[in-house]
Amino acid sequence: MPIPRSTPRAVFGALLAILFLVGACTASGASQAPIAASPVAVASATPAPTVAPTASPTPAPAFPVTLTDDEGTAVTIPAEPKKIVTLTPAATELLFKLGAGDRVVAKVEDVADFPPEAHDLPVVATFQGVDTEKIVGLGADLVIAGGNFGTPPDAVAKLRSLGIPVVVVYAPTVDGALKDIELIGSAVGTADAAKDLTASMRAGMDQVSAAVAGLPAPRVFYETGTDPSGTVYGIADASVYQELIKLAGGDPITTGSAQDWAQSTENLVAADPQIILLGDGAYGMTADAVAARPGWKSLTAVKDGAITPVDDIVVTRPGPRLVDGLLVLAKALHPDAVLPSLAPAAP
Amino acid sequence: MGTRRQRPIIIGAAIMVALLVALVLGVGMGTVGIAPSDTMAILAHRLLGLDFGAHWSPAAETIVMDLRLPRVLTTMLVGMALAVAGVTFQGLLRNPLADPYVLGTASGAALGAAIAVLIPVRSLVLGFGLVNGLAFVGALASVVVVYRLARLSGLAPLTGLLLTGYAVGSLLAAGLAMAMYLSGAGLRQIVGYLLGGFANASWEHLAGALPIVLITSVLILLRARTLDGLLLGEEAAAHLGIDVRRERRILLALASLVTAAAVAISGLIGFVGLVVPHVVRLLVGPSTRLVLPLSALGGAALLAYADLAARLAGDIPVGVVTALIGAPFFIIVLRRARAGYEL
Repeated sequence: MPIPRSTPRAVFGALLAILFLVGACTASGASQAPIAASPVAVASATPAPTVAPTASPTPAPAFPVTLTDDEGTAVTIPAEPKKIVTLTPAATELLFKLGAGDRVVAKVEDVADFPPEAHDLPVVATFQGVDTEKIVGLGADLVIAGGNFGTPPDAVAKLRSLGIPVVVVYAPTVDGALKDIELIGSAVGTADAAKDLTASMRAGMDQVSAAVAGLPAPRVFYETGTDPSGTVYGIADASVYQELIKLAGGDPITTGSAQDWAQSTENLVAADPQIILLGDGAYGMTADAVAARPGWKSLTAVKDGAITPVDDIVVTRPGPRLVDGLLVLAKALHPDAVLPSLAPAAP
Repeated sequence: MGTRRQRPIIIGAAIMVALLVALVLGVGMGTVGIAPSDTMAILAHRLLGLDFGAHWSPAAETIVMDLRLPRVLTTMLVGMALAVAGVTFQGLLRNPLADPYVLGTASGAALGAAIAVLIPVRSLVLGFGLVNGLAFVGALASVVVVYRLARLSGLAPLTGLLLTGYAVGSLLAAGLAMAMYLSGAGLRQIVGYLLGGFANASWEHLAGALPIVLITSVLILLRARTLDGLLLGEEAAAHLGIDVRRERRILLALASLVTAAAVAISGLIGFVGLVVPHVVRLLVGPSTRLVLPLSALGGAALLAYADLAARLAGDIPVGVVTALIGAPFFIIVLRRARAGYEL
C-alpha cells in the first residue's frame, strides 16, 4: 500500500511530532506502572527510638527523617534501617564503628578489607558495577552510596525508583568527611554516637595540628600512583590530600590542575620536594625505583633518601580512621615531633 | 526445510518460540534465586490478575516485575530496532557493510551522552535522564549534518553519504575523546554507555521507546517495495515509479529515528544491525517484505539471549556477547550459502 506521492512534507513532520507526543504521554502513564513492592518490606519495621530506656526523658523518635545528602537530594527514611547496604568502604568502616555493624547486610568490594568483622558480608558492588537485583533481593531498606560517580548514578536512580532510600555521600574536604559521618549517623539512627565520634576526631586533629604548629613545613610530594607508560600521579589542586598534608604540617606540591592528577617531572624538579611520600607503596613502589627515575636524582628528597611509603587508604578514606591517616602523615613529615599515638584498632 | 514459500513461515515461527523461551528464561534467571513457581505466580498475579494462593516476598515481586521483566522486553525492543535499521541502511546504501551506525549515529550519540555526563544535572524527566535525551538528540543531529553535508558534495548520493558519514563520525569521535579526557571521575559512566547495556532498563524507558520503534518499523515495512526497488539501482528504481530522492530521505529519517530510540536507552550495541539482516537474507532471500519482519524478530531474539548470557556470565558488556554469538554463526551460515550471494 504505497503512500500517495502527493502527501506534503508537513504531514510527515506532524506525524513525527505526534510520535514524540505519544511517546511522552505513554512514558508519563508508565511511570505509574508496576509499583515498587519494597516499601511493603520497609513499613513492616516499626520506628524505634534510638535511645535505650533510661531514667532521662525519652527524646523525640529519630524516624521518619528526611535528610539532604551530599548531592542535594532530599532522602526520606521512614523507619530505622535494619538492612543497610554500604557502597563505599568508608561507610562500611563507619557503620561498624558506630555499632550498627550487625545491621549491614551487604557491602562494596574493599581492597583494604577492613574491619575484619565485615569480611564475610556479601559483596554487591565492585568497580565493574552494582548488582541492584541482589540489593533488592536482600530486602535493603537503606543504601549508602558514593558521590562523584563513585557509585554509578544510574544505579542510584534505579534503587531510588524501586523505593529504596539512597543517601549519597561525597567528601572532598576533611570537614565534609566529618559532616558525612554525622549524616550517616542520623540516617541509621546512631546520631549521638556519630557526634561523639566526630568530636573525638576533631580533638585528635587539633592535637596533631598543635604538635606540628610552628615547625618548618617541608615541601612534600605525595605520589598517588604511576601507570605503565611512566606517568607519575601526584595530587590535584584542592584535593583532600592537600588539606591533610597542610594539617600535618607540610607544604604540599600539587599538579597545578584541579582535574589532572598527572605530575609533570619538570614542575616537580622546579618545586624540589624535601620529602616524597609513596601512597602507592602498598602496591609495590619502592624508594629505589623512585630514585632511579630519570631526572629525579636532583631532587632534595632523593638526595637525602627521604622517600617513605605510607598507607594510602588510611590517609584518605573519609571514615573513622581519618585521624589515623593524619597521624601517619604527621609522623612521616615530622618524625621528631611529639605526636599522640595511633588510636587502638576498630572494635 | 519445506518448500520455498513455507520457509519464511517456519523460520518466523521458530524465532517466535525462541523469543518466548528467552522471555521465560530472562524473567526466571538472575543473580538472586527465585523459585520458578514463585516467578510464574508473580507474573500471573500482576499481568493476568490470577491468584493461585502462593506467597512470595515483596523483594521477589520487585525483582521480577521491575528489574527483570522490563529488562528482557527492552532487549527485544532494542534488538528489533537495530535489526530493522540495519536492513534499511543496507538497502538504502546498497552496501553489505552498512549498519545502523554507518552515518555517524554512534559517534553523535556517544558525544551527546558524554556531554550529558559532564553536565552535573541529575534530574529525570518522565524517567529519562540527560544521558538518554542527549544521546537521542546527538544521534539524530549527526545524521542531519551528514545528510546536509553529503548533498553539498559533488559525489554520487550514496558515495557521498557514506564518505561524509565517515568524516563526520571521525570528527564527533574526536569530540568524544576530548570529553572523555575532561570527564575525570565520570569516565567510567561514559565508557559504560559506549559498551552498551541493559542494567538500567525500566518501564519508563520501554514506554518511551516502544511507540517510536513500532511506528517507524511499520512505516518502513510499508515501504518494503520501495526498498526493493532502490536495491536495483537509481535508474531502475526511477523506472519503477519510485521518487528516489524523496523516498531515500524518508527512509533515512525513519531508520535514523529507530536507531536513535535504540541507542538512547541502551547505549551502543554493535553487530546486531549488521549481521542479523545478512543471516535472514541467506535463509529466505532478498525480498524486503520477508527480510524486514524476520530480521526484526531475529534481532530481538539475538539480543535477548545475548543479554541473558551476559547477565549470567557476571554482567559482562552485552556487545561482547553479541559478537561472540553472532560472528561464528554468521561464518557458518556464509559457508553454507550458495555461490552468488550478494546483497
